[in-house]
Amino acid sequence: MNFSSLRLRLLATVLAVGAVLGADLWLRPVTPPPAQAVWPAAPATLQVATLQLAAKGVIPMPPDTEAAHASSLLAMPAGHAAALTVFWFSGERESGPNVQIAASQFNRARQQWAPARFVVNRHTLGLQLGFGVRRLGNPVAWMDGAGRMHLFVVATGLGGWAASRVLHLRQSSAGNGLDALEFEPLRVLPLGWLWNTSHLVRNSPQPLADGGMVLPLYFELGLKYPVAMRFDHRGELLGMTRISQRNFALQPTLLARTATDWVALMRDIRPNGRVIAARTADGGRSWADLPDLELVNPDSAVGGMALAGGQMVLAHNASPGSRAALTLSGSVNGTDWTPIHAMEQGANPDEYSYPAMAWVDGSLWVSYTVDRQRLAWQRFGVKP
Amino acid sequence: MSADAMHWMVQLTATDAPALPAPWLMQLWLSLGWGVVLAAAVAVVGKAWPVRGRMAAAAFVALACWVGGPYAPTHWLGMAFQSPSITSVLLCAVFLYGAFSRSTQRGHPLGAAGSCWQLALALLGVVLGWVLLLDTLAVLPIVVYAWGFSPVATAAAFAVLMVPWLCHRGERAMDATLWVAPLAVLSFAALRLPTGNLWDALLDPWLWVALHVYSIRGLIQVSRRSKA
Repeated sequence: MNFSSLRLRLLATVLAVGAVLGADLWLRPVTPPPAQAVWPAAPATLQVATLQLAAKGVIPMPPDTEAAHASSLLAMPAGHAAALTVFWFSGERESGPNVQIAASQFNRARQQWAPARFVVNRHTLGLQLGFGVRRLGNPVAWMDGAGRMHLFVVATGLGGWAASRVLHLRQSSAGNGLDALEFEPLRVLPLGWLWNTSHLVRNSPQPLADGGMVLPLYFELGLKYPVAMRFDHRGELLGMTRISQRNFALQPTLLARTATDWVALMRDIRPNGRVIAARTADGGRSWADLPDLELVNPDSAVGGMALAGGQMVLAHNASPGSRAALTLSGSVNGTDWTPIHAMEQGANPDEYSYPAMAWVDGSLWVSYTVDRQRLAWQRFGVKP
Repeated sequence: MSADAMHWMVQLTATDAPALPAPWLMQLWLSLGWGVVLAAAVAVVGKAWPVRGRMAAAAFVALACWVGGPYAPTHWLGMAFQSPSITSVLLCAVFLYGAFSRSTQRGHPLGAAGSCWQLALALLGVVLGWVLLLDTLAVLPIVVYAWGFSPVATAAAFAVLMVPWLCHRGERAMDATLWVAPLAVLSFAALRLPTGNLWDALLDPWLWVALHVYSIRGLIQVSRRSKA
């Protein structure tokens, strides 16, 4: 065909643009309905102020590891032999070349943690991905609608910790018992144009009624800002939004007040910082910054969880300039918090940090790092 | 606006229903993409070498990208820079064709400023890169990167990149490099490579750096011509 006429070329261009649009739409999933949060099956009459310490201990470390950090708790299904799976990164030192992702499970019958084992190794990952992974860190676990575990881990490229990317892995083993547990990498999450550099993950996702979830993430190269990514019930990506316009907020934890009204609480890198807050009223489609909370934040991660009935819990370092005290607080709106329990009360340079939470079998479980060397846990039950 | 029209508007502009490439396809692209880019780089470096030597060296590095593990260049390049954009790979392929074709001993497509349209597209790439960089640093009030997940961005980019062809009135066929960007969008629409985001398919940071050099050289040439 001779395209010498402008009119003909214009027609051909319009048809080609239509074809591109058609092909693009055909390949895509249908736009999902607005996200609706769900809560763990806690008693409807639960008042978080009535939570009391029921048990505590340490999580066993893999052999020959001197560093442990950034645990993530995953509640297991009711019929599973394990009540909980915990993932964390462990090795000779934080950001060391031999750091791997470790896991342990709390056995329901024996009421104890299984010996830890490594489930993700950077060398194996490199071979599976086709490109190298320099360091591993910050695992965050989630279980999809088919009962498969997903892990989101920080995987660094060339450069330091701030040159991290978030790698999405999915359970490849048939079973999810600790001995059988294996993962395969799916992709580096597409979070930014600059080689996906400097995006990290830390806190647990907000589960959704459709079986999917919203995963909180953050950027930390110089500026720090929080991001959220939505996934469907199979773990397929459904999009991203920025949580805050502030550039000093990181490591968001999501707390749902209603199905669509959520708050995000964040770590503050400023001196004399306070816990930073943002709110969405449309299930995470758009966010607006809230005034800083009264809670002190000594540049440390907070870990929170919303329970049914508008009850919320938050584990945080409550003393200025130190991570020596770890406090469990309760709230009914996500912005006004009251201390419930002093989980740890040390003195500098003690460090109790990076709390993670899960609600399992009628109890609140909290895990956290102790002196960046080991992990501890506490279980809180409801007062009779 | 009717409910149907509203539904279609939502579908067209939605950034929350992206289609991402399959993991196996991303791995294939990693090796293929870097293979083509490295072969082109070898062809540039070995400009003074005999043609057969250049071809052998280019083929060697391209094949090395398919070796697994730390001996493969892709192990390190992927670790540092992920996968190249479709535009970069196509430009390198055009260059390789020119470098090794006896009938067309052409220069590097980005080596010297060509037509006004090439310069215009290069400047567009420079501006787009700056917008995406500022977006990465959260300087902008909107999330531009997320637009790369929407269908309307793909169609709009294709329409804009077809403008040189629409306006092309010459008797001769349009320069091959002007087809590269529209072809990149077409490839993206079909394959979703390299990440499922349009911007990653159109422009990678290294291409953006190269476009700066090309644009500056082009603008200097234009300025000299206008003075003459």
